[in-house]
Amino acid sequence: MTRTIVTRIRDRAGEMPKAVAMREKRLGVWHEITWADYWEAVLDVGHALLALGVRPGDRVAVQCENRPEWLFLDIATVAIRATTVGLYPTNPTAETSYLLSHSGACVHLAEDQEQVDKALESGDLPELRTIVYVEPRGLRAYDDPRLLSWDNLLERGREHRRANPGAVEALVDAAEPSDVLTLVYTSGTTGPPKGAMLTAGNAEFVLETVLERSPFARPAPGPKDMTLSYLPLCHVAERVLTTWYNAGAGTQVNFAESIETVPQNLREVQPTLFFAVPRIWEKLLATARIKLDSATWAKRHWAGFWLRRADALGAKLAANGGRHTLGTRLTYAVGWVLFFRALRDRLGLRRVRHASCGAAPVAPEVLQFFMGIGVPMHELYGMTENAAVATANRPGRVRLGTVGEVHEGIELKLDEGTGEILTRHPAVFAGYWQDPEATARTVSEDGWLHTGDVGEWVDGTHLRITDRMKDIIITAGGKNVAPSEIENGLKASPYIKEAVVIGDGRKYLTALIGIELDTVGAWAQQRQLAFTTYRDLSEKDEVRALVQQVVDEVNARHNPVEQVKHFRMLPKELDHEDGELTATQKVKRSAIDAMFHDLVESMYADQAGAR
Amino acid sequence: MGLVNAQSGPVLQFDDVHLSFGAVKAVNGVSFTVGENELFAVIGPNGAGKTSIFNVLSGVYRPQRGTVVLDGVDLIGKRPPAIARLGMARTFQNIELFANLTVLDNLMLGRHQHLRYGTLAAMAWWGRARNEELRHRVKVEEIVDFLELEQWRKMPVGLLPYGVQKRVELGRALAMEPRLLLLDEPVAGMNLEETEDMARYILDIRDELQIPMIMVEHDMGLVMDVADRVMVVDFGTPVATGTPTEIQRNPDVIRAYLGGDPDAEQDVRHAIEGGASA
Repeated sequence: MTRTIVTRIRDRAGEMPKAVAMREKRLGVWHEITWADYWEAVLDVGHALLALGVRPGDRVAVQCENRPEWLFLDIATVAIRATTVGLYPTNPTAETSYLLSHSGACVHLAEDQEQVDKALESGDLPELRTIVYVEPRGLRAYDDPRLLSWDNLLERGREHRRANPGAVEALVDAAEPSDVLTLVYTSGTTGPPKGAMLTAGNAEFVLETVLERSPFARPAPGPKDMTLSYLPLCHVAERVLTTWYNAGAGTQVNFAESIETVPQNLREVQPTLFFAVPRIWEKLLATARIKLDSATWAKRHWAGFWLRRADALGAKLAANGGRHTLGTRLTYAVGWVLFFRALRDRLGLRRVRHASCGAAPVAPEVLQFFMGIGVPMHELYGMTENAAVATANRPGRVRLGTVGEVHEGIELKLDEGTGEILTRHPAVFAGYWQDPEATARTVSEDGWLHTGDVGEWVDGTHLRITDRMKDIIITAGGKNVAPSEIENGLKASPYIKEAVVIGDGRKYLTALIGIELDTVGAWAQQRQLAFTTYRDLSEKDEVRALVQQVVDEVNARHNPVEQVKHFRMLPKELDHEDGELTATQKVKRSAIDAMFHDLVESMYADQAGAR
Repeated sequence: MGLVNAQSGPVLQFDDVHLSFGAVKAVNGVSFTVGENELFAVIGPNGAGKTSIFNVLSGVYRPQRGTVVLDGVDLIGKRPPAIARLGMARTFQNIELFANLTVLDNLMLGRHQHLRYGTLAAMAWWGRARNEELRHRVKVEEIVDFLELEQWRKMPVGLLPYGVQKRVELGRALAMEPRLLLLDEPVAGMNLEETEDMARYILDIRDELQIPMIMVEHDMGLVMDVADRVMVVDFGTPVATGTPTEIQRNPDVIRAYLGGDPDAEQDVRHAIEGGASA
């Protein structure tokens, strides 16, 4: 019998039925869902899927914000040996249509009217038989025969369960490690998305690695740990953190009400394990700084004093692998009583015992700030195609600017010619859905996964990522430049949200820069600068000067070929729906180049021949 | 589209109402009815008497002639608080919220007429006061959920963007659990996105909460898109009443807006029809 995330949940429901598996906030009050409730829901939904004709190997799609129903459907699908396909709630109709059609999903969970509309407008989907919705609001007058409410789905499940007791459990017992449990579509910055197939065996290897073989926190994560589920569940990182850790370690999942309420929910939940992408850490850092800028004189100076201590602490900790010395411990103890505790409480990070950052490159100074205020911060590395496990900074052996050490049980090497990072281990995916050519390009015959990232070793133990292979800029002078390092340096400023460095085949580097509306807006208000829109604010001379200052600071840290000679302000906030960002908020360089072509050219035109 | 329910009698009857201020006839023989689940819009040029109609409805002005009946109860001569207790709630053209109170507190104020406990019990936070308060909080949270106000629950209303303040004001009116909701220019001063959001909330109030509404609005696109029936008034006099399609075809309506200027007529016709198809 194969151990899977499903059997882990079943066993927890048997061993600790009344313990809390997850919480969700309904009408302003947190409600608990126990392991017994969870397993009952999985069985009901699993039977419902069987009643709807879903068979092992079929695909079940879901386009929904994070909520218990997402997990119920996901685990029920895996329980009957079918495959879950997650869609981003922000996917516009055209992408929704592509994903539903490419995966050939037969059942689709569309959270509410907005998502139902996307599915209904998706054109001809011959394989899609049922569209389940959770929120009935606005759907009363819809008469598409494929629509089925969540309550009716559960009803169908209970009926089927009475008639066929044990049908779902039998399939759970028949699971094989090679069962594809999910397709994770990678929102590539170029080309259409590809569906990475992750298997039951991949998931088990991940859980055994991070929980048992080399636990990422001491003591290992367990039922006392709290997590906040807020990043999209269709992304591999959040799926591992929310669904798999919950099944594997019994951590309690708390669902954020919505992406807008994450700061409030973070304060209410005070999670003990917290993962965020660089964008969120940058935003938290900006929040901490901006709150202080608008405080009274005394508060500002008091906070300023302690933040300078934090910077010093962060630098010392970073130099010491994240371990305290006697001196830093004493300073921190005093700071905890007088300032850090309050700040961490305000940020929702008071109880965090393991914080991590991944999924995109981050500026070391951002991580160092959080280390300084006492948040144990660890950068990790992994990708969809290896189920998000490859390397991690270990507690006490942190090296800023690296993604840490290779996990036990994982082979990792650098390609001798290109420096590309290659990994080989049992969590390497089973290939791209219906795309053997892309699979063959990505995984070599002897099992090495080509990550597409370029890296180098630091001290022979820690891995540093230089950049994405295809993002490396080769200037007209033939110099190789890694844009992400410069971009992250710029984005570490609380005033800058987006930075896109340009220079491939050009004489020098330039950048398109987008401001952070909240912080620059507050900065402008303090200076009594009136502004109307994002664009108006961006184009103010004072704001340009502010950005110039940041650019100069970052330039000072780089050699001349890596310096940004000119920059222009982006006239709008970049957006997924406008095609400028991927669903994971990564900039699509090709789209940016095309959309802001004139702006880019203007930085090279007037200097033609001059430099 | 909307479900116009014609089976039961009208929720509101507004019959031959005349209201004058000296020689100015603000409302001159206006009659209409509003049915269950109906979204009834009143449009007209500036000074046409739309707001006067609202003020008659909510009891601010007492008309010289005519009857106003809500659910079989005559409203003429009743004071505004009494009319509010009968189930008439309204929002205002200019936001009328308590800027220093939080969103939750402003919504709780909407529950005021449903509070049954006394001051002493409230101060003790005991017995009936406690139970009732918890019940009202649930009701308020349902509105927070309905209008998607979660992220601003504990923010002072004065600090919120304009479009959100308008939503909070709508929420306070909904907190009264009204029988009939009056919306005075719900999208005035809003940008396109805020207007679209508000239109969705208004339709959801009709279809999900099944509260009939009377809406005064200048945004012709919104009116033609969402209203079940439209009444056009000019100089206090009703010009036409009918479905949006009927109104768009009515030549008197265009004249009322323009006073017979043929060039402008073309513009307005375009605006009205364009709005309907938007």
